[in-house]
Amino acid sequence: MTIFRSRWLPHLFLIAFSAVMVYPILWWLGASLKDVTELKLPRLWPSTPHWENYADGWRFSKDYTFGHFFANTLLMEAANVVGGVFTAAAVAFGFARLHFPLRGFWFSIMLLTLMLPGQVTIVPQYILYNRFGYVDSYVPLILPHYFGGGAFFIFLLVQFIRGLPRDLDDAAKIDGASVYGIFARIILPLIKPALVTVAIFTFIWSWDDFFAQVLYLSSVEKFTVGLALRMFIDQFEIAWGQLLAMSLLSVVPSVILFFFAQKHFVEGIATTGLKG
Amino acid sequence: MSRKRFKGWGFPALALLLVLAACGGGGGGKESEGSPAPADGGSSGSGGASSPVELGITWWGPDERHQATLAALKIYSQQNPGVTFKPEYMAWDAFWQKLPTLAASKTVPDVLQMDAAYIQDYVSRGVMEDLSDIDLSGVVPDNILENVKIGGKLYGIPLSHNAQGVAYNKAALEAAGIPLPKQGWTWEEYFRWARDAKAKLPEDQYPIGDAANAWDWFQWYQASMGKGPIMSDGGKTFNLDHDLFVKFHEELSALRKDKVLPPPDLSLSFLENDPQADPMASGKVMTRGGTVGSVAALESLLPGKVDVVNVPNGPSGGGWAQSTIFLGVSSNSKHKEEAKKFVKWFITDPEGGKTLGLTRGIPINEAIYKELEPNLAAKDKLSKRLAEVASEKAMPFYPAGPGFTEWVDFYKTTMEAVMFGQKSIEDVRRDQQAGAGHRRQKQVNGSAG
Amino acid sequence: MTHRTIAGSAAPPARSRFARSVRRYDWTGYVFISPWLVGFLLLTLWPIGQSFYLSFTDYSLLSQPVWSGGANYAKIFGGDPTFKKSLSVTVAFVLYSVPLKLLFSLLVAMLLNRNLRGMSFYRTAVYFPSLIGGSVAVAALWRNMFGKDGYVNHVLAWFGIEGTGWISNPDTALGTLVLLNTWQFGSTMVIFLAGLKQIPQELYESASVDGARPIRRFYHITLPMLSPVLFFNLVLGIIGSFQMFTASFVITPRGGPMQSTYVYAVFLYEKAFKHFQMGYASALAWVLLAIVAVLTALNFLGSRYWVFYESDGRGAK
Repeated sequence: MTIFRSRWLPHLFLIAFSAVMVYPILWWLGASLKDVTELKLPRLWPSTPHWENYADGWRFSKDYTFGHFFANTLLMEAANVVGGVFTAAAVAFGFARLHFPLRGFWFSIMLLTLMLPGQVTIVPQYILYNRFGYVDSYVPLILPHYFGGGAFFIFLLVQFIRGLPRDLDDAAKIDGASVYGIFARIILPLIKPALVTVAIFTFIWSWDDFFAQVLYLSSVEKFTVGLALRMFIDQFEIAWGQLLAMSLLSVVPSVILFFFAQKHFVEGIATTGLKG
Repeated sequence: MSRKRFKGWGFPALALLLVLAACGGGGGGKESEGSPAPADGGSSGSGGASSPVELGITWWGPDERHQATLAALKIYSQQNPGVTFKPEYMAWDAFWQKLPTLAASKTVPDVLQMDAAYIQDYVSRGVMEDLSDIDLSGVVPDNILENVKIGGKLYGIPLSHNAQGVAYNKAALEAAGIPLPKQGWTWEEYFRWARDAKAKLPEDQYPIGDAANAWDWFQWYQASMGKGPIMSDGGKTFNLDHDLFVKFHEELSALRKDKVLPPPDLSLSFLENDPQADPMASGKVMTRGGTVGSVAALESLLPGKVDVVNVPNGPSGGGWAQSTIFLGVSSNSKHKEEAKKFVKWFITDPEGGKTLGLTRGIPINEAIYKELEPNLAAKDKLSKRLAEVASEKAMPFYPAGPGFTEWVDFYKTTMEAVMFGQKSIEDVRRDQQAGAGHRRQKQVNGSAG
Repeated sequence: MTHRTIAGSAAPPARSRFARSVRRYDWTGYVFISPWLVGFLLLTLWPIGQSFYLSFTDYSLLSQPVWSGGANYAKIFGGDPTFKKSLSVTVAFVLYSVPLKLLFSLLVAMLLNRNLRGMSFYRTAVYFPSLIGGSVAVAALWRNMFGKDGYVNHVLAWFGIEGTGWISNPDTALGTLVLLNTWQFGSTMVIFLAGLKQIPQELYESASVDGARPIRRFYHITLPMLSPVLFFNLVLGIIGSFQMFTASFVITPRGGPMQSTYVYAVFLYEKAFKHFQMGYASALAWVLLAIVAVLTALNFLGSRYWVFYESDGRGAK
């Protein structure tokens, strides 16, 4: 009896809980197969599924398919994730482990940049990028990720690094490792779960960052998935079926990424082994 | 604690750094000729008509409009060798999210589409070029042009006819045995019709929507009673008739109390043209206001069921009919002459007109419309019918004056408090009266700045 | 002790050795933070400074800014009713949503921090709502759930309760947004999960040997070891909630019924881009920054009493 409970109860609970959380997918899938007159009905599934919403949505524009927009976005994302993970880790290591003058000052400034609502820096930032000649390119969308990936991630990694015992560094130092060695060979492997987190968030959040994309990308050729999706929503007419179909597809990459990345949380970190 | 101590120093230090950066960054930036207008400033074709010119052009719309416009641009480039385009097109929301930043950074494309709801804001801040010297005689009737002028000047070429009317669910009304709304109805007839209709409708269906929080409904009421628009003179004059205000809202409150109007939590959940939340498409309400574009969208949600009448009338008329979509030229354009030539072509050229079709509504140019008339779709026919129905007694379109967008929000919020019974109409009237002086004051200050 | 907060003091016995090596470490530190520092000086500093300057001007966004001294700040503190309204809406949102989300995501993270079969699927399913955060479909979905005719009211009807339009009723709209925000607890949860994975297993093993009960283990091992991450989630949760924008803007357009969901960031956005008062909006932004900065500083002060950093040495609390 005890065995039964301990094995099945968590599963039952998790299945029920997941079902509640996943309900939106079912609604979404159903709605994406409806035609516009059926959307107002409360039923989950259409009487006849309109799979053509997917085909029509995919080729909604004469010149480009959604494949083009997916390729654009994934390329940008790859650049963002690489930049975000490595530079955030380096900066966080600097703040968490090294002593240097004005460290507290810079750290405070960094946190302050998080607290100023972005709405008021949009225009000056745009003017800046326009002066550099980077408007209608991916540079304004990618570049920030190579400058530490933002205060959120740096602070996150700082907290993780501070959670690691210092004797690891000391042991390595005695073995003759340099600061760079400690960073690359001791700290980086130990904060892997946090780095995976940074990668996931970078991916998902820059996928969603509609406002920056609409500002900096103006040729349709360079559009991201997020921008292409907004093309379905006009002042009066919204192509609902196609919009819901394509926006459901647009979350697929994030779901896949999350599914494979989350495995890395499972691997416990054996800090003890390193102490030797 | 260090953080606290540094915080004290943070701001002065930050300020110092800012000055340094501003000097450094600013100096470097200015070398690049004070940021050229459209992204491609390479060829500074200053005047010479024959030298190659690239015009930036931006508009909003659905894909149908994008494709038609791109095709029309191609035709123009064929007819005018040496002129090419750099098109930027997007949907409504994105367009208005982006345009303020473009205007602030002086990078608005040479040619841009404009809407009557926003044009005054952009004109009053010098974003739009004066187009009064474009000769449109024989293309656009003079009375239409006069209607869309701002301060006596033309800032946008009108593209199509728009109008405000009332759409109704013909099929549902007939099924319930309710007489259809009558063209040319007065406000009294409108309210009485609603009461009579409610008697024949089930409990959870309503003849008319609750327009208490929509300032433009009250403005139609006030204007139709001969008291003019609420805001005029480009936002310098504010004139809300307090007696009419009380009368209008007391009528609505009585209807709400008698459940002729939907309950407020239902009214506020409506979202026009949304398949689930549109008041008519959801089957909850039998009528709603609509413009040409909006009833076309409604027709696709309720195919074959919708018909239109004009907005309820008063002695001075009712509703409005006017062009609300324009093509303008940016005042920071480097190719103004070329741009002006193009915007005129846009509504004049028969080949271009045929390509553009009805993607921006019913063309303002009668000659071009006649060409297209034989091939109208169902939604276009309904649009056309609305334009005709509304124009009978129509007044001009009165947008919220520049600087009055906040008042519009104030009106909405306050009247919602009335709808939920948390404020009395008399309170609101007093607030309005007290606020009027301040608003005018602020407006004067605003335009000085 | 100037830099104590960040790295904590090094273990006291080693102090003299470290003092000597400090000079060597000086520039290495700058090498490591240089990506951020360069980016800050190059891309962030000027826009921030610009917004600070603009907060002292009358700036319509479309025409040139005109110096107006402290007029914007005077107007804010002189009783702009919308400022008060939006600030109180925001504070209410923060007060409910931050603790709710923290608690909920910590519970779920602990639940998902096991080695059960199929855990990958559960985690992905639970994270899904957070994946669709900004998607246009969310607004439609949420209306579908919480509309007057939505699923929630259908379920309530089984129990004979007549529901309201949850997002169109001024009494319930903000609460519904708090719920939505809690439903999207995934990011906070993932950070907790990563934190839980970093706790050395041997601590639990030795505790089991000592016969500690689960509750005790939670208070004596999990909570202290997780405290840096908990602290992070708390600080960032507060900062983020004060700037909550998307949910209000997308789900309850135009501030919701009677402006009951008119949060600060939406107010500020509309001031800037709808009413074209960028100067005033900038002042609003700096006022918010000041409020949040004070709260964050208090948080850091308080953290000394409950956040435990392994790098500060065990037992040194």
